[in-house]
This record gives sequence, C-alpha cells and structure tokens, in this order.
Amino acid sequence: MPKLTVDGHEIEVAPGTTLLQAALSQGREVPHYCYHAGLSIAGNCRMCLVEVEQAPKLVIACATPVAEGMVVHTRNDRVKQAQASIMEFLLINHPLDCTICDQAGECRLQEYAAEYSTGRSRYEDPKVLFNKAVDIGKHVLLDQERCIQCSRCTRFCDEVTGTGELAFFQRGERTMIGVYPERRLDNPYSGNVVDICPVGALTLKEFRFQSRVWYLKNTPSVCAGCARGCNVMVSVGMQQEMMTTTGQFDDRVQRVVPRVNEEVNDYWMCDEGRLSYQREAAGERIASAEGPAGTELDWDAAVLQAAEQLKQAAGSGRAAAIFTTRLVSETYFAWHKLFEGLGQVRVGLHRIARGADDKLLIRADKGANAQGAAWVLGRTDDAQAVLDAAGRGEIDTLLVFGDTLDPEDTPRIDEETRGRVQHLIYVGPFLDATARQASLLLPAAAWSEAAGSLVNFEGRVQWSRRCHRPRSEGRPGWRIAADVAGHAAVELPQWSSAAEVLESLAQSVEPFRGMSEERLGLLGISAKSHATATA
Amino acid sequence: MSEKILTRNVGKDASLAAYEAQGGYRSLRKTLDSMSPADLIELVKKSGLRGRGGAGFPTGLKWSFMPKEKDPARPHYLLNNADESEPGTFKDRLLMEHDPHLVVESTMLSGYAMQTDICFIYIRGEYVQATKMLERAIAEAYDKGYIGKNILGSGWNCELVLHRGAGAYICGEETALMSSLEGDRGYPRFKPPFPAVSGVWGMPTTINNTETMACVPFIVERGAEWFSRIGKDEKNSGPKLYCLSGHVKRPGVYEEDMGFPLMELIHGLGGGMLHDDRPLKACVPGGISVPVLRAEDCEVDLDFDSLSEKGSALGSAGIMIMDSSTCMVEALLRTTHFFAHESCGQCTPCREGCGWMERILTRVLNGQASSKDLELLLDVANHIEGQTICALGDAAAWPVQSYLKWFRGEFEAKINKEAECPS
Repeated sequence: MPKLTVDGHEIEVAPGTTLLQAALSQGREVPHYCYHAGLSIAGNCRMCLVEVEQAPKLVIACATPVAEGMVVHTRNDRVKQAQASIMEFLLINHPLDCTICDQAGECRLQEYAAEYSTGRSRYEDPKVLFNKAVDIGKHVLLDQERCIQCSRCTRFCDEVTGTGELAFFQRGERTMIGVYPERRLDNPYSGNVVDICPVGALTLKEFRFQSRVWYLKNTPSVCAGCARGCNVMVSVGMQQEMMTTTGQFDDRVQRVVPRVNEEVNDYWMCDEGRLSYQREAAGERIASAEGPAGTELDWDAAVLQAAEQLKQAAGSGRAAAIFTTRLVSETYFAWHKLFEGLGQVRVGLHRIARGADDKLLIRADKGANAQGAAWVLGRTDDAQAVLDAAGRGEIDTLLVFGDTLDPEDTPRIDEETRGRVQHLIYVGPFLDATARQASLLLPAAAWSEAAGSLVNFEGRVQWSRRCHRPRSEGRPGWRIAADVAGHAAVELPQWSSAAEVLESLAQSVEPFRGMSEERLGLLGISAKSHATATA
Repeated sequence: MSEKILTRNVGKDASLAAYEAQGGYRSLRKTLDSMSPADLIELVKKSGLRGRGGAGFPTGLKWSFMPKEKDPARPHYLLNNADESEPGTFKDRLLMEHDPHLVVESTMLSGYAMQTDICFIYIRGEYVQATKMLERAIAEAYDKGYIGKNILGSGWNCELVLHRGAGAYICGEETALMSSLEGDRGYPRFKPPFPAVSGVWGMPTTINNTETMACVPFIVERGAEWFSRIGKDEKNSGPKLYCLSGHVKRPGVYEEDMGFPLMELIHGLGGGMLHDDRPLKACVPGGISVPVLRAEDCEVDLDFDSLSEKGSALGSAGIMIMDSSTCMVEALLRTTHFFAHESCGQCTPCREGCGWMERILTRVLNGQASSKDLELLLDVANHIEGQTICALGDAAAWPVQSYLKWFRGEFEAKINKEAECPS
C-alpha cells in the first residue's frame, strides 16, 4: 500500500485512492464542489487544487491517484492562494442573494467563502445575468445565476438514473444548466439533484421558502415508503424556539433527504419516498379515542372496551386482526404477544404493492416492514382471506391496524362484510374510510412520530426514529397493545420504549437475536450477516 | 530551402493518379511490405519530428506510449487533428485542399505504427473545400485498397473516417476533440489517464496534427537522417509550414526549413511591411495564444527552442505581424474576446476569468479604468494560468501577461486618457 505524506503526516492508503479521498480519510478538509463520492470525477470546479512536491503545477486532489512517496500540501500558501482565487472566480458572477436563498446555511459557497476566500471582492463590472426560478420539472426549480457549473446534477441524470434530462447549454461564462428542449426533469429520482447541488441553484418546490435550514431539527430515520428502507434525515420545524412572540408550535416535517448508506440506498432516494411525509401530513387524524357513533372515550375506557371485545371473540375463536405491512416490528411483536395470551386470533397481513421494482431503489412492495411482519408474526393469512371469513359471518371482533404513513394504504372493508362483524376496532393514525366504519377508534402514532425497527426486503433491520411529537393523542402501536393487554389479563413486560420492546423481541424471534437499538445504530444490521457473525 | 517537400503539390492536380505518379503511396507500400510497426516508430523517433500542432512534443515518443501488445477487445485509434482553429493558422488547410492524398497516406502510415483499427480525421467544420477534397481522396484510396481490409495485402485492417467539427476552437484541444468525436460536448478531459491509455471511447488513442503526420511519408522515403538534417538542429528539424499574416505585403503559407529567421520571412518572402513608413512593432509568432514579441525580439529563428528562449513559442506557427499603427490595447482586447468567446465553460478559472479580463480591457480601452485595474488584470491572468483542465486557460493568460509586460505604457496611456499612444 502506498505511503505518502499529507501536510506532514505520513499515511498509508489503498492503491488507487485519490488524494482527496486520502485527505478526507485523515480528517483533512480539502474543499471541493464538483467531486461527489457517488458520481464520476469531473475535475472542473478546481477548488481541490493541492500541491504535490515535484509536480510543476498544482493538481486537483479529486483526480490524482496517490503514489508511493508523494509529499502533499493541502494548506500551504500556494494552495491557499489558489483556493482564494477559485472562490473569487466563482463569486464574481454569483448573485449573492443568500438572504432569499433556500440553500443559505448549508451552502458550500457560503462555507468556503468563510474559510477559503479573502473575504472581499475586486469585481466591479456587471454580472452575467441568467434566468431565475426556471421550472425544469415536477419538483425542481433552477436558478441559473446561482449555478457554479459543477455538473453534479448532469452526472446524476447521466450516470445514476440514466435519464439524461439535464445538460450544459451555451459556452464560456454563458454556460448554463438546463433541460433539453421539450424535456422535463421528471425521473422518479429528480429530488436528488437538489441534495447534491452544492449551492442554491436547484431547489425543491416542496421545500422552497418553507423554512430557513437553521430552524430545522434533523433526525436520522428510515423511509417507510417501500421495502428498500432508504436511510433518511427527517427535518422538522423548531420555530417555536425562535418565534416565542406568536407562541406558535410548528414541528411538522419540512423535508426528508437521503442519508448515506452504501448497503441500502447509497446517496439517493426516490421522489415518492422523499415526499411521503406529505401524505402522512395530509391524512385526517383520529384526534382521540372514540366509541360507537363518534362518542369520545377516555383512553382507559377505550382500551378496556377493546380488551373485552377481543377477549370475548378470541375465546370462541371468532377474533381476527389485520395489519398493514408498514408497521414497526415492535408493534407486530406486542400485538402478537397479546393475541397469544388471548387465545385464538386469526391474523391477516395487508400487502401494499404498486408499480414494479426498478433497477435503482424503488420496490413494488410498498410494505416497508413486510419482512419484519413475517418474521414476528410467523404464519399469517392474507388480509383478504380474513375479510372473506368476516364476510361469511365467522368473525365477531375484527381489529384493523391501519397504515401509519398513507391513509390510502389501509385495507378497505365493504359494507356487507362490515355488517357481519359485530365489533370493528380500528387502530391507526388516520381517520380513513375503514376508520369511519369502526365501532371503536384507538389513535396511533404515525411513521414519523414513533420509533421502531423496519426490516427491508434484503433482511436488513434498521431503526426508524421518532422525529417529532404526535399530532394527535396517537400512541405507538406496541404501547396500545400493552394497554389492551393490561385490561385483558394478559401479562406483557413493562415496556417503556420501543427500544425495550426490541430487547424482548431480540430474545424471542430468531432473526432479531442479539439486536438492540444501539447495535442497529444509524445504518442498521443485515440479519443474515448478523446471524453468521454471532453464530 | 529550394525544394518544397510538404507543399510540392500545391496548385497542382490533386487526383490520385497525379499523386501516385509523384511517388505517392509508395511510402505506405514500402512500410507495409518491409517494416514492422516498431521499426516505423523507431524511424520517426530518430528523425526528431516534433508535433506541429502547438506543443512540439516528440512524435515518435508519443507513438511509443501506445500499448505494444494489442488486446483484441481494445481497438486502437489514431486521430488526425485537422480542427485548425487557432487564429492566424491556416497551414493544414493548404495541405488538405491541395494535397488530400498526402493527408490520407500520412494518416494511414501513422496508423500502421500503432496498429490502429480506425483512423479519424477531425476536420474544422468551416473547411468546406478541404472536406470535399478529402472525401474524394478517401473514396479513391478505399477503391485502391490503401484503406480498409487487408491493406496492400499486409493483413492489416484499418478504416479511415472523416469527421467534421461544428465550429468550436476548443475542439482542437486533443481531449476535447475526443469528447466531440464521441458525440458529447467538446469538453477537455483531465489527464491522467492519457489518451494512449484511455482515449476515444476509453480505448488507446493517439492524436497528431495534420502537418506532423504529413512529414511521415517523407521520413520513410528519404530516411530519418535526411529529416533531422533539415533545419536548425536535431531537436528542431524538418520542413515547416509558416502561416504569415498581418501587416506584410505578401501574407500566406510558406514552407521553409525549421528555424527559418523571422525577419527573413517578413522582409524576404513576405515582401516586407505592408506600409513602408510603418515599421514592425510586434509579432505573435505561434498563433494567437503565444506570448507576443516586441520588434527588438524579432531577430529570432522560427523554431521551438529559439522562440522558447525569447519567452514565446512556435505554437502552430501562425505568425501575425503588427506594425506601428497597431493599438496594443485593442489587439489584446480582441484576443481576449476570442478566448472569452471560445472558453468551453467547463472549469472555473477560464470560464469566469476570461470574461472578467475582457470587461476590464474594455474599460481600459474606453478610458473607464483606473491604474489598479492593470494589476487586477494581471492577477486574474496569473490565477487562470496553470489552474485549468486544458491549456486554453494558459492560452488566454499568456497574451495578457506578455502584452502587459512589453506594452504597459500603452495601457497606462489609455487609463490616463492621454490623447496620443506612446508607441
């Protein structure tokens, strides 16, 4: 392995590593715009110029492979001067409209201007003007003046999605990004160009002017949009701390961006997943527990009713439950344990499938935890089989756990079937069509409101986190099961958090053995490799 | 030099028959019959031939970078760079228009040295007549078996494709030419990897200027020693085409030995200064991008090393003569405008810097600049130089640096709004 010296430190890295990667691996920041680990090397921004002794000119760290004995300087005067000059060049035609730019606060131009520029401009001539707020696609707006021509977005469309909608047009300082004539940036992954844009040239329509980024609280979580389980960062507003005069409390999800996990989603996520929080936010919520005909119930009364209705039916083998495949494993586990204690409860899984698998990330199976449900619940019926049984009058008490992300994904029950079921207990966040038919409503927390594990289609167990307060009295699904159990004389452990449920789960369901919230960490664990490692 | 080598057929019949009657394609036949590719590379190395496109890189050495053992899955390509776009340069055009078979033969011959599968001639889009001549010559050469399968019974297969550019200076830069040939924007690529390792479509590729290759049939015919003895010395040898333009009586392409004296070109072949009462003021000796020479530095021989010693370069041998009536501020503005217009826009310093320099120079010319603007202008040029992917950044910086070095007084006069130019 080649040994080289970077700023006086001797390091050893794998052959083929670039100077930029080598420096970054040592915790040395080498500023860069066009380099992105998920894309090919472009070498055009020139921000990563470094000095290699014996080389006549400065070299770009992103495209220079390490070699034995190289002596590299990333912060000497010559390099600093080059960096300052590149910053000056980038800023002469930049509009400097940070005050109205969504990127402000997470903008590479701002960051590097503070760190690497001289802090003053010698430019006195008119700036080159371009179009602002160009509508280039369903989700993305382009500000051609803010663009620094790094080509990350064009490379993304060429190399990752292979759709090639974006390109450079014109030449020299008139060079600008744009979509080809009669094309739109409408691939299913278009939002990623906004994430990788190092400046404010590409902005997401859905996030535009919604919040300054420094008013956002970011929580690492997992997308529940499909069985891929893309790692995400969920940003919620925390304006209540800044806006005490109005007393407004607004911790809604403002945006979701992908989080790097090379085992799952690399650097990307699809637009549907990115915007799934909107479906969650748009769904009408069950405000509090309700009994028949909309009578408000206090929580204890509601779970007592549920316990009695389930217990009675289970005793005679006439109880059933339907779950969607998007709930966290801990919820499945708690209900499973409850049902075991109650006797015989028939369980059906409602699978959510749309479209087809693609070559990148999107899975047709939208059930983010179909694998976890199968592991925890064991042999189950299809939801339809359970509903058919209900339609034949074989079920007295039917519990439906509705979807926690999208009200549209809750199984529907036709009126005739409903008429044959005595008690329809609905658990879930949304007041969807099925909830409206129920005789008992127990509000649950939605996806972004409660923690738990999701197992993706490859058997990777990942920890989805609570990102903000529930918007209703909704409780985590596992807790509702525990509450019901308390009234049904079924003994469950005294869990106080999803992490504690996972500990129980880890002791009794094989693929989860030895797992904990801490062990799952930020990137999750593949159950298969985990089993091999612990064997 | 009395005997014309490269330009021997200029103004004559450009047909295949006439070319063959002159001994044309004999060098190709001789090479395929009796020489290995390695022999040919060795011969060209010995001749001392250096690239005529601008950089003056030793041709045989460049050829030797190609893989010796051919991987059947990796075709070899040779590119004949005929995208002659450097202002002041029009020598390759002459060869293509008047002696297209020389261009075809020399390309195929060079291709043989590297066992190419396809040779491309990338021709400047504006060269319509040259394109027509080459198209006909290529068709004729195909018919005669000089191109195609089993060329002259040698077992070597190689196609020759003529590709027209679409009008961009940058596409004459070797790696931008490759991008353009592939159908992409003419963006230069960073090196390494070098073209011999990964060139067009990622395959081993060599690229040479048209005039450079045109020397090869004569080296084969008359020997490396003959070639290396022409001209100044072993490193500056061979016949050379000089493109003379500007304030001279007889502008044009002149073939002389490498190292021909500049003053003799101006006052002898060029017929002297255009106006007898306007003496020589400055000369750009190698195409618009090389540093300008003052009149007192024009006592120089036109070869790589002599011009380098004077702080300039032979470049593409586009020699532009400026007399005493020339405003150097205007000349530099026009030059800088060209680079700002032709910058591909890929990398930051050139994209942003060229336009900046043009705007500063416009202010200088219009009397709207202050004295600190000249320092700024030089600083911008210095920060473009050496920091870009390709040499266009350097090409834009060198004129600014050299004009300011030698003619600073004229720029200051504009700034101070002096009525008279000090020159």
